[in-house]
Amino acid sequence: MKRPSSLLREAWLLSRDRAAIFWLALALALSVFSVASGVEEVRYQRGELAKLIELDEADRNAELARQSDWGGAAYYAFHLTYDPPSDLSFAALGQRESAAWKHRIRMLSLEGQIHEADAPNPELALAGRIDFSFVAAYLAPLLVIFLLYDLRSGERAAGRMELLTATAGRAESPWRMRAAMRIGALAGCVLLPLGIGGSVMGAPVAGLLLMSMAVVLHVLVWWALVALADRLSVASTTQLSILVGGWLLLAVLVPATGRILVERAIPVPSGAEILLAQREAVNAAWDLPKEQTMIPFIERHPEWAEHSQIDAGFDWKWYYAFQQVGDQSAEDISAAYTRGRLKRDEAARLSAWLSPPAFLERYLQSLAGTDVRSVIAYEQSVRDFHAELRSFYYARLFPGQDFRIAEAAGLPEYSPAR
Amino acid sequence: MKTVLEARDLSVERSGKRVLDGVSFSVTEGEVFALLGGNGAGKSTTLLTFLGFLPPVSGLVQVNGKAPAEDIAAARRAIAYLPEAATLYGHLTARENLRYFLSLARMRPQAEPIEAALDQVSLQPDARGRQLSSYSKGMRQKVAIALALLREAPILLLDEPTSGLDPVAIDEFHGLIRLLAGAGRSVLMVTHDVYGACQVAGRIGLLRHGQMVGSFTAPAGGRIETEAVHAAFAGRVPA
Ligand SMILES: Nc1ncnc2c1ncn2[C@@H]1O[C@H](COP(=O)(O)OP(=O)(O)OP(=O)(O)O)[C@@H](O)[C@H]1O
Ligand SMILES: [Mg+2]
Repeated sequence: MKRPSSLLREAWLLSRDRAAIFWLALALALSVFSVASGVEEVRYQRGELAKLIELDEADRNAELARQSDWGGAAYYAFHLTYDPPSDLSFAALGQRESAAWKHRIRMLSLEGQIHEADAPNPELALAGRIDFSFVAAYLAPLLVIFLLYDLRSGERAAGRMELLTATAGRAESPWRMRAAMRIGALAGCVLLPLGIGGSVMGAPVAGLLLMSMAVVLHVLVWWALVALADRLSVASTTQLSILVGGWLLLAVLVPATGRILVERAIPVPSGAEILLAQREAVNAAWDLPKEQTMIPFIERHPEWAEHSQIDAGFDWKWYYAFQQVGDQSAEDISAAYTRGRLKRDEAARLSAWLSPPAFLERYLQSLAGTDVRSVIAYEQSVRDFHAELRSFYYARLFPGQDFRIAEAAGLPEYSPAR
Repeated sequence: MKTVLEARDLSVERSGKRVLDGVSFSVTEGEVFALLGGNGAGKSTTLLTFLGFLPPVSGLVQVNGKAPAEDIAAARRAIAYLPEAATLYGHLTARENLRYFLSLARMRPQAEPIEAALDQVSLQPDARGRQLSSYSKGMRQKVAIALALLREAPILLLDEPTSGLDPVAIDEFHGLIRLLAGAGRSVLMVTHDVYGACQVAGRIGLLRHGQMVGSFTAPAGGRIETEAVHAAFAGRVPA
């Protein structure tokens, strides 16, 4: 008979430790819950998008069929733009909870259309959904602490330290194996649901592996912190207080303070301000002489200068020109909004070096494409598409072409970046 | 006779305080040496020093002719240690505790010797499958003694092994110790029990405030006089 390996021996001891089993079961339950809720949210978003995509073209074609001129077509034809969730986003919903990921836009002023869309789940965004990135970044460290804090100090308090060490000799001290066993079991409990969720969602293996590696590294960092606290050789309860204090500092205080400082240091206009600037310009246009509206438009589009005479009554050319001028007057503030968010994001990225949980959360969101950069990239793709729409319609409105339904089939189509 | 444990002019400090001060004695193969002394005399400290937990500030400590620090694994392998107020795992049964610690000592824990050892310390068979948290103090001590026996180490360091045992169990234990010594094992035991020490030990060392203040050796074939030791222990006679 072979001597049971230290691995089996410690695994057996762990299996008899009710407190450890409780924390591991809790880790598993939290991970399962968070992955399931992420999968459900992504399925919901995909379902919504599938419905909208299916209706998009039919709705537009029905409207176009009723039109007799290009101005009306541009007014009534909506186009769906959207940012589909990535296959990894179930693990880190990130900005998808608070930023709009779908719009129905038309030829009117764009900035208003981008920014009037409500947050998709305002009440959830407030509460903060418990997704996998939250569990891995903020809760797993607590579980590391509860699983490891009294590994040595508990034995010391029970008066077993010398017996254990003397029995094991030096060659085979049980501590590292015990800690490794618990850390391994914890990582398994946290990562198993991620793997299952990933295969359910058809997520790329490389992405899942990167996420898993990041989570394992994060857990190892907390193991190192616990080991450091153990060097103090204080009572178990004191050690627990120190470690929970450390968690509060790194997982709560540092990120919250960082957020406040970043927001103070980098002012960012709100979406509502952009909306207001653009609306004011549009509303003012009705009271201005039409020629006056055409001046800033022609500055931007000299190619239509010779077609810019406006009829006395209602003229679609003038109507769309002032829509564009509305965007032009919101341009600076909108650019400031984008720049500000990017600057804040960059500052948050740097400050995350001080908080392993915040760092992991950001890394998972960047892998999942649910970070601030992805939101801004999506907004840019909507602007690019809207610009294509304008080119298409201007080329027909300004030369005064007749509406032909067959030609409307050549309207630009939105295709998401991913 | 081969010397297995030796302390020569040994001094040890704990938290900056000198707790062993120039202690010398040795234990030979097959010998039972009892270390007597009052609370805080330095008895447990002596055992911990042999196990390599506390480095001597001066003097010499040896296990099988080598300083423990020289080859700590070898020293600890040669020793079965019964700590003072031994606490095994309360949430494990007697059998599970023994299996765990034997495996920790890189031994193959097998049912038969485990039951035999538990028989030797006369732990009731119906208690052996129960968690230690439901044991009395003496029952827990018996399991810890069984562990020391099962280690099959040539040297036993026992810190107050009879504490908590009832008189019958103490008598049985002393019989066991004599048996082990007869089979060539060396025993260094710490105790407050003058009578018990005289019954079982071939030599007795008296420790006071970290100094060896007296020693008694049994005459060939006989026992150490309890009266003399008792008087010395109580401080009535300068030893
Ligand atoms: N962990 C420790 N840290 C610092 N000093 C200690 C420690 N343990 C014991 N001491 C001190 O060392 C001295 C010897 O203690 P030791 O435990 O060796 O006594 P003992 O002879 O075993 O006493 P007892 O009969 O009460 O078990 C005492 O003065 C004690 O205060
Ligand atoms: Mg003692």
